[in-house]
Amino acid sequence: MSAVIETNQLTKSYGSRRGLAGLDLEVRPGEVFGFLGPNGAGKTTTIRILVDLIRPTSGTATVFGTEPRAGGAALRARIGYLPGDFVVNGNQSADELLTHLGHLRGRVPHERIRTLAHRLGLDLHVRIRSLSKGNRQKVGIIQAFMHEPELLILDEPTSGLDPLLQQTFLDLVREAKANGQAVLMSSHVLSEVQQAADRVGIIRDGRMVEVEAVESLRRRAVRRVEIHFGEPVSADAFTGLDGVTDVRVEDRVLRCRLAGRADPLVKAAARYPVESLVVAEPDLEELFLTYYRADTEPEATDAA
Amino acid sequence: MLHSVFGKALRESRRGIAAWAIGIAAVGMMYAAFYPSMADPAMAEALRAFPPELLEALNMGDLTSPAGYLEGSTFGLLGPLMMIIFATVLGSRAIAGDEEDGRLDVLLAHPVERWSVVVQRGLAMVVALATAGLVLIVGLVAISGPAQLTEIGAANLAATTVQLVLLACVFGSLALGVGALTGSRGAAIGAVAVIGVLTYLAHTVLPDVSGFEWAENLSPFFYYLGGRPLVNGLQVVDSLVLATTAVVLVAIGVIGFVRRDIAV
Repeated sequence: MSAVIETNQLTKSYGSRRGLAGLDLEVRPGEVFGFLGPNGAGKTTTIRILVDLIRPTSGTATVFGTEPRAGGAALRARIGYLPGDFVVNGNQSADELLTHLGHLRGRVPHERIRTLAHRLGLDLHVRIRSLSKGNRQKVGIIQAFMHEPELLILDEPTSGLDPLLQQTFLDLVREAKANGQAVLMSSHVLSEVQQAADRVGIIRDGRMVEVEAVESLRRRAVRRVEIHFGEPVSADAFTGLDGVTDVRVEDRVLRCRLAGRADPLVKAAARYPVESLVVAEPDLEELFLTYYRADTEPEATDAA
Repeated sequence: MLHSVFGKALRESRRGIAAWAIGIAAVGMMYAAFYPSMADPAMAEALRAFPPELLEALNMGDLTSPAGYLEGSTFGLLGPLMMIIFATVLGSRAIAGDEEDGRLDVLLAHPVERWSVVVQRGLAMVVALATAGLVLIVGLVAISGPAQLTEIGAANLAATTVQLVLLACVFGSLALGVGALTGSRGAAIGAVAVIGVLTYLAHTVLPDVSGFEWAENLSPFFYYLGGRPLVNGLQVVDSLVLATTAVVLVAIGVIGFVRRDIAV
């Protein structure tokens, strides 16, 4: 089956400012795709093109093989969308809003709304205006999920949710995936999507710089390593080893970062008496930052 | 219907509609209630002190007959002013206001076409204005006895109110259309303010300026009161001109709205 979302050299200019500069994105059927990048990289611009709120300057975008503008209401009926900034008339209860939106989508069983609200711990009868930011986000999540769309497009879905609710949200994403629904979710924090995503795409300055399976990303991920030795060691013995960076030695303790295979570091350490060895969980954030750092290079910051 | 964009728009503004309708009717009735003191011959004498052009410009050319008095008061100044402000509030909020507040994203990502959102909210605006008109008719008919205005008759009061509602629809549609076209509430309100003042002057002042008499034909105010519906009953052609203008303004807004980007 062909891709659920496919963009080809997608470009969007806002006057002289460039929102997207030739973005290629592919989301496959039934996959959860994490769309990552710093604020302002073009995530929201891409997403708003996909739901036809804005139109591309050049390049193509298709959802289920149809351009969003040509697909119109029929195409949007198959999508659940959570905007990055979920704003609605606050002068109504969540129940009123969701019932109204449910009618726009055809019949959404009210039972489904109640179930989702219960799982997220949302009181449907409070005026939206008096809800906290996190509770408002729950309303947004419910309206995106309630009609069980074939495709979920979620812009920063976990913003404002506490860690417990983030887990509930990730459960919903996993259930959607098990149900055969595809998911595109954006974030500027990798840890928020790595648990649920199959693949991750990293966007910078309006371009996709890397697309990788979360598994292989994890394998390449940078780990912080701390080794305590039985005797003082010299930093020279560890600097320059394959995959080892940031070597710091204080008397008997070595601290460094390790990317990829652990073998060279372990072999080098084995020459000394090792008291203890601590390898932190792979910190994908670290790897992620290496993509961001290129941001500061002069050619990349030029506002073409 | 009840859960459509149209029904939702009406439900969300029901309190505002009630408040405006009562306010407009109350002002209209208060004004009308002063007629007996105006019909006093001494008042007619006093008014002769003013230049007739000035009185004409204020729709006050003939304040001493019932129809002339209402043309100068309820239907001449405050009635249209309040109805146009109400229409502008509704029209500018329908698309531009919602967009500036960031509320359009959620709605437009749903399976509803953009043109349909503009049309449904436009219809909700028409229903709101018609409701205010209906309350005004009831109020004026109720007070026409005590205010010695019975010679106008309920039918002509209703006809004039219909044309007043259509006038308000023109400016509400202008606000809606400009708002849909630009996404700016300021532009929508500004358009009504500028075009409202210019066309009001075109109806009241320009007919007296030689070489500019034609300008009156471009003024919605001319099609509203020019045919004297209080005296002659409903002016069908004038009403159609107003209604068509409103429809065209909304259509222009729709054409722009379906093509452009929605602001974040």
